[in-house]
Amino acid sequence: MFSHKKIRKGIRMKKEEIVKEFKKLLVEVVDVDENKITGDAHFFKDIGIDSLKAIEITVAIERRFKINVRDEQIPQITTLNQAVSAIEKALQEKNA
Amino acid sequence: MRKKRVVITGVGPISSIGMGQEAFWNGLLNNQDHIREHKEYIGKELWETFRYHKIENFDIHQFGIDRDKLKRIKDWKEGEENEDLNYLLASVKLALDDGKIKNTNDYRIGLVLAHENIGLMPFGLKISGLAYDMLIGKSAQVLGKKDFYAVFYEQFIKSGYDVQGFPNLFHVTQTFDIKNFSLFVNNACASGLYAMETASQIIKNDQSDIVITAVSDHSDIYKYVWFKEIGIYSEKGYMSPFSKNADGILIGDGAAGVMLEDYEHAQKRGAFIYAEYLGGGFDLENWKITVPQIGSQSYQSAIKKALQQSSVAVKDIDVLCAHGVGKKTIDGYESKAITDVFGKNPKDLAITAFKGYLGHTLGASALLETIIILLMMKNNKIIASKNCEDVDPQHHLRLVEKTKECQIKTVMKICCPFAGFNAAVLLKKG
Repeated sequence: MFSHKKIRKGIRMKKEEIVKEFKKLLVEVVDVDENKITGDAHFFKDIGIDSLKAIEITVAIERRFKINVRDEQIPQITTLNQAVSAIEKALQEKNA
Repeated sequence: MRKKRVVITGVGPISSIGMGQEAFWNGLLNNQDHIREHKEYIGKELWETFRYHKIENFDIHQFGIDRDKLKRIKDWKEGEENEDLNYLLASVKLALDDGKIKNTNDYRIGLVLAHENIGLMPFGLKISGLAYDMLIGKSAQVLGKKDFYAVFYEQFIKSGYDVQGFPNLFHVTQTFDIKNFSLFVNNACASGLYAMETASQIIKNDQSDIVITAVSDHSDIYKYVWFKEIGIYSEKGYMSPFSKNADGILIGDGAAGVMLEDYEHAQKRGAFIYAEYLGGGFDLENWKITVPQIGSQSYQSAIKKALQQSSVAVKDIDVLCAHGVGKKTIDGYESKAITDVFGKNPKDLAITAFKGYLGHTLGASALLETIIILLMMKNNKIIASKNCEDVDPQHHLRLVEKTKECQIKTVMKICCPFAGFNAAVLLKKG
């Protein structure tokens, strides 16, 4: 089943699916080379995403995964791994 | 019923660079700021050190306010001082004096008061001290849970009561004998603009002929700690809106009182008119409290609504006074909104940002900066944007770099505060 259908239906997503969906989102929002998006690559230092784009990414995460990212989490999401971890946690809380 | 016009007939600035119109204006002309380092001690232990824009030598008794009325407030508060309230009182008195209102009972005067967090600091310190004494300190007692709650309640309730808006509204209306429609509002840093719009509507609905708006903010340790924790406090020690080295805010003490009045009423009594309040535009972003939604059109919408409400075209605006917070994300959010509406590097529009002089006076900022606009209009002079010599080209904005003579007719003040209460108002000199 496509990821967006799983999200809409509240069906648990596997981590790999979240990673894939997030990478797709990142490419759409920031127009970045997907090969640069590795687990610990820093958005600002390694991928060239600035702080404004980082907030746009948060907006897109919320829309795509239908979750709420708390204010204080936003500056903490600076790598793929951190983003996926935050999304996983929010989805678990939502589906609990 | 005739369609009323609303004008501004009195101002009362309280700031770190000067209290009262003359001192305040001179502080701006002389490119001043008054940044001081503060060490916050709890007992003998140092908690934090921070820089902020500090008001020195403020004495509530220097403004000619009825001393008996001030004593009533002190009696209610059992001697506890509240500088936020004192700043409000002083700014209201200055505005009334500037507007030549000697006896408020001769007019239908209302009040719109605003504050982001009045009474929070004294309350916070008081309950922290109480909790420490009762649980850990010398007077620690062995109490059951219910008795602990009861004892604690008796100690903190007075301070806690004054964290609410209405007792402070009461203190101000009682002090100045204001008997007409009155309101307490809180829209974060845009409170002053919401207050002016509210005042305008009160006048247009014939509830009052005059409405004083007043907002204040006294800097304190809690504000510093909170802004530092969310990564918004400047480490370099001064504010530089839209600049390459922008790294956040410095908080600042401040208060503003602005008197709005029905135009015909003002004319009849021969009042000096600073400008007409043409109208405002307001748009709620409804996303986060401390982060603007990059990519939204909310701020643009507030600006366009203000133009529409006021029947003013973009080309008719001489000066735009930005919120200018000096934090890259918020500056970027704001510059996008400005350029979306006015175009990139708009040629015939003077853009200014004033927080380099005053710091971020939080709830008071929009109204205090409105007073700067009104004084610019009165004195035919535009004030430079302080610390903005090296604007980041990504913003596509040119800021006013030098204070200079200038005929100013129509000015827009905009604000993109926390919680997305985006606002824009228009003022026009007669």
